Amino acid sequence: MNYVGKRIKRNEDPRLLTGQALFVDDVDLPRMLHAAFLRSDYAHARLKSIDISAALQRPGVVAVYTAEIMGEEWKPGPALVSPPPTVENVLFNSRTQVPLVKDKVRYAGEPIAVVIAESRYIAEDAVEDIIVDLEPLEVVADLEKALSPQSVLIHEDLESNLAAQMVQVKGDYAKARQEADLIIKRRIIIDRGAAAAMENRGIVADWDAKSHFLTVWDTTQAPIPIRNGLALRLGLSEHQVRVIAPFLGGGFGPKMMMFYSEEMLIPWIAIKLARPIKWIEDRRENFYATTQERVQIHDAEMALDHDGRILGIKDNFLHDTGAYDPYGLTQSHTMGAYDVANYYSEIKVVFTNKMITTPVRGAGRPQGIYIAERLLDLAAKELGIDPIEIRKRNFIPPDKFPYEHCIIDQAFSPLIFDSGNYQPVLNKAATMIGYDQFVKEEQPRLRAEGHHVGIGIVSFVETTGVGPYEGARITVQANGKISVATGVGTQGQGHFTSFAQIVADQLGVDVQDVQLVTGDTAEFHWGTGTFASRGAVVAGNAIHASAVAVRAKILKLASEVLKAPEEELEIKDGKVQVADIPHLSISLGELATLANPLRGAVEPGTEPGLEATAYFGPKYGATAFGTHAMILEVDTETMMVEIKRYVVVEDCGTILNPMILEGQVHGGVAMGIGNAYYEKLVYDENAQLLNASLADYLIPTATEVPRIVVGHEETPSPLNPLGTKGAGEAGAIPVPALFAQALENALPEYNLEILESPLSPNRLFELLQKKEKSQ
Amino acid sequence: MSHTIDIALTVNHIKYERSIEPRMLLSDFLRHELGLTGTHVGCEHGVCGACSVLFDGQPIRSCLMFAVQANGHEILSIEGLGTLDNLHPLQASFMEAHALQCGFCTPGFILTLVPFLEKNPNPNEQEIRQAISGNICRCTGYQNIVEAVKLAAEKMSAAHKE
Amino acid sequence: MKIDGEYIFKGPREEVWRIIRDPEVLATALPGTKRLDKVGENEYQGEMNVRVGPVAGLFSGRLVVSKEVPLSSLTLTVDGRGSPGFANGSGNVILNDQSDGTTLMKYEGELQIGGKLASVGQRLLDTASKSMIHTGLEALDLALQARVAAKSEGKEVEYTPPSESKFAAAVAKDMAGQMLSSRTVWIIIAIIVILAIVAAVLISRAH
Repeated sequence: MNYVGKRIKRNEDPRLLTGQALFVDDVDLPRMLHAAFLRSDYAHARLKSIDISAALQRPGVVAVYTAEIMGEEWKPGPALVSPPPTVENVLFNSRTQVPLVKDKVRYAGEPIAVVIAESRYIAEDAVEDIIVDLEPLEVVADLEKALSPQSVLIHEDLESNLAAQMVQVKGDYAKARQEADLIIKRRIIIDRGAAAAMENRGIVADWDAKSHFLTVWDTTQAPIPIRNGLALRLGLSEHQVRVIAPFLGGGFGPKMMMFYSEEMLIPWIAIKLARPIKWIEDRRENFYATTQERVQIHDAEMALDHDGRILGIKDNFLHDTGAYDPYGLTQSHTMGAYDVANYYSEIKVVFTNKMITTPVRGAGRPQGIYIAERLLDLAAKELGIDPIEIRKRNFIPPDKFPYEHCIIDQAFSPLIFDSGNYQPVLNKAATMIGYDQFVKEEQPRLRAEGHHVGIGIVSFVETTGVGPYEGARITVQANGKISVATGVGTQGQGHFTSFAQIVADQLGVDVQDVQLVTGDTAEFHWGTGTFASRGAVVAGNAIHASAVAVRAKILKLASEVLKAPEEELEIKDGKVQVADIPHLSISLGELATLANPLRGAVEPGTEPGLEATAYFGPKYGATAFGTHAMILEVDTETMMVEIKRYVVVEDCGTILNPMILEGQVHGGVAMGIGNAYYEKLVYDENAQLLNASLADYLIPTATEVPRIVVGHEETPSPLNPLGTKGAGEAGAIPVPALFAQALENALPEYNLEILESPLSPNRLFELLQKKEKSQ
Repeated sequence: MSHTIDIALTVNHIKYERSIEPRMLLSDFLRHELGLTGTHVGCEHGVCGACSVLFDGQPIRSCLMFAVQANGHEILSIEGLGTLDNLHPLQASFMEAHALQCGFCTPGFILTLVPFLEKNPNPNEQEIRQAISGNICRCTGYQNIVEAVKLAAEKMSAAHKE
Repeated sequence: MKIDGEYIFKGPREEVWRIIRDPEVLATALPGTKRLDKVGENEYQGEMNVRVGPVAGLFSGRLVVSKEVPLSSLTLTVDGRGSPGFANGSGNVILNDQSDGTTLMKYEGELQIGGKLASVGQRLLDTASKSMIHTGLEALDLALQARVAAKSEGKEVEYTPPSESKFAAAVAKDMAGQMLSSRTVWIIIAIIVILAIVAAVLISRAH
């Protein structure tokens, strides 16, 4: 092993550092036109009329489209994920988003018309020329009121605003409840947040009318499904459509959502006008027009015995899906990393007049872990058990893996935890943060000096590396460099490097000689996309399998050429040589040329060249585990929080590149800190978004994010040959729960019970005031 | 017919003359008029810092300036700082310290740091974090960026000594 | 968004009532108003340029007067929309005599705001609306005083409404005053503004 496991510098960096990397807005084509959207100001309204005549008069405007103008070609988008087939008692009303509003507006920001003009400036001017007559309707903004029988209906063909309902059962919770010594029952509320990647979304679509070929550049995490879906919608064959996801300025989930209205419209318009069309979202639009993370209201209950052992968990919750539900059900369980024999959960997904919610980094697990960790923390307080101790008593023990939960996970496979060893990770984290020393010595000393310092430690599990599959094709080129093509796009995870490491090890080349192409359907068109912490696991293993196959071909051919048995050959430094006889060698490039003869013949049953394509699809996702610990100080006058120490210990199986992994953890924690204490999408009772700018939606900067110390444990996964598990979301998942625990710990005189997320300085102030008043 | 103004300015040591609308933003001018797409636009309201370039040596947000305001001035964008074969010490340090992931915010950070390191050749962690608190990164959590700056400071002061 | 406040007009209640029911005077009290036409017994339609921080654009809308108790109170309902967003709501206005011959106006109501105004102008909405109302009422008060003076002298009413730019400056100063929340500074600024307007009136009279 030469490269896998090492901190290798990234192959893609020089281009990114010198402004030589292509992002969607960098695409510039001759005769390109620009699009701007007119979006609804009202969250719920009937569309009475649209007058585009003034807009069409404006010089530089080429066309304006509305639902009416689209006529028969107007149709709602496809559902991404159908409801889980394997569970009984599932109710699912699929209502997907539309390209342009036809009769009714269902969320503020929904697109009503699109202007195509010679420049973006002119297009935006023309948007203001359009006169829209909207008749406002009563707005459904509150999740619980949405389900009341008196509520106005968002989808009038349904009987209520219930989008989906699912029950998950394991064991017998009612019985567990009866036997319990302690029941912790609480209502916990979780509110909306945005992914807010630094790059907003964008599309460029180019229809070549002469060759009947559509090329689309899209800020998507899933170019292959977009290409397949576009072909279907536009009546084209798949090979007539090429979707390219170039460098993306961050994804975090919402760029996985398909098909946004713009993704449906812009390619269609490109074909109609036979000119390239570009649409780039601006930051305010991003808050309205890109999907968000959810609201959930939980009525949760944990039954325990007097030793703090969890006997069962019950969680009934409402999930806000926004105005449409194209993304199916991405719900997480709330059992955390614990050995829970009885579980009952009833999930109701509800329509509201807000933007569609789809998973953002964590995808339901931050919420699930929040519930599990909060209830356990409250139980620990009541029983007088130390928070670390109560977790140890409940962790799934290492000999119980694979551990079957008998319910389904968010990828609709059975929820099975493949492998893990949780206590050492927790112990390591506690040691690294100096838990005992802090609690016994530092904290009392600092408190005596008047500081409000607190410590928190929480654990999480994460199902990663889920199917269905990914694939890769590896080719040895005549110049000795290796080309690799795979379907997963990149949004900064370092695929160009971590995947190259896998190939370099198998094929004995320098990691910089491995050239990766990702996210281009012309290069590789089988696969799903980058989400759910699965890139390294699924694509990585496909690449590994393909590399193994190419290695076999190399050895077979080299054995013939060098006239030596395969066992005596080794591949290193870009050539194959007979072990210990260096002059008996051939470079990979020469070998590749020999494999593609200009004379002679290729044997039947074999293929030319040194190339192989392989796929990998795990039966279910590998479960990663981690523990975060934090020490913070609260200023009770300003409610500002200073994080003094932050430790993460994660176990994601075999590590491909520790440098890239730590980067993912740092970034995830920063996002988690934002989600815990600074970020919240604020809606008023008319479902109007009140903070649609970075000035009012607060993303943590370098002065809010602390130094993060990362430790590793490696419990390989039995589910794939590399033994890896995913880690892209790990940093973000437990942070809100961690903040709640640490804040409660820092302010013991208030005896706080934090049952909501996100918090903020303002909100903490309110909570403390409430407590002071009641004392 | 829209009203245009003639401007002449220097970008990355090259003189340009153009006729443009007064309302064209400097960020759009650099990216679409001149094709220098290394400067990225994150918010267009001056908060994220991704569009930062140097204006007569000082960091400014190109999304908050009109191109006509740059008439007669010198702009340095990321393309003018280093090339693939000849990276500026900051660029090289970012790569060594894994201080970029998606790379979208990176040019803005680097250009903000160039004048900072000139004024503070030996900054401590807190000073570095303050200096970059006006730039938002959603990927890295800032830690490796801080490391990269320390590394660059070392490289640049070593170069000075030679 | 809640809107409430008080204002003391330097004139008798009947004159105040006449002024607030006169669309021509109302239109000039809020410069930026492109037109305010009476379209029904108690209904007006108009257009107004609105600017709150980075958000600006043309608003068009309806104003309905109801629950009128002449010389005493009324309810205003407004429904406006435009590129900056929408604003609708209603408010009650009550006039009371004061012992010194001035009139106390009390107003309170609720406004629903949406669109760009709500999502980007949030921080400024509260102070902007207070300032616009206050400065508008001041302009009305000047008109009132000009009218009262003209009546007592038997002359034609001479009143020059403040120009749009002067109004905007006055609003900005008022908002700054609110933010500074120093009573002394506010009073000084208000005095400067009123002096400027009075000076403008005097200068135009002199021609």
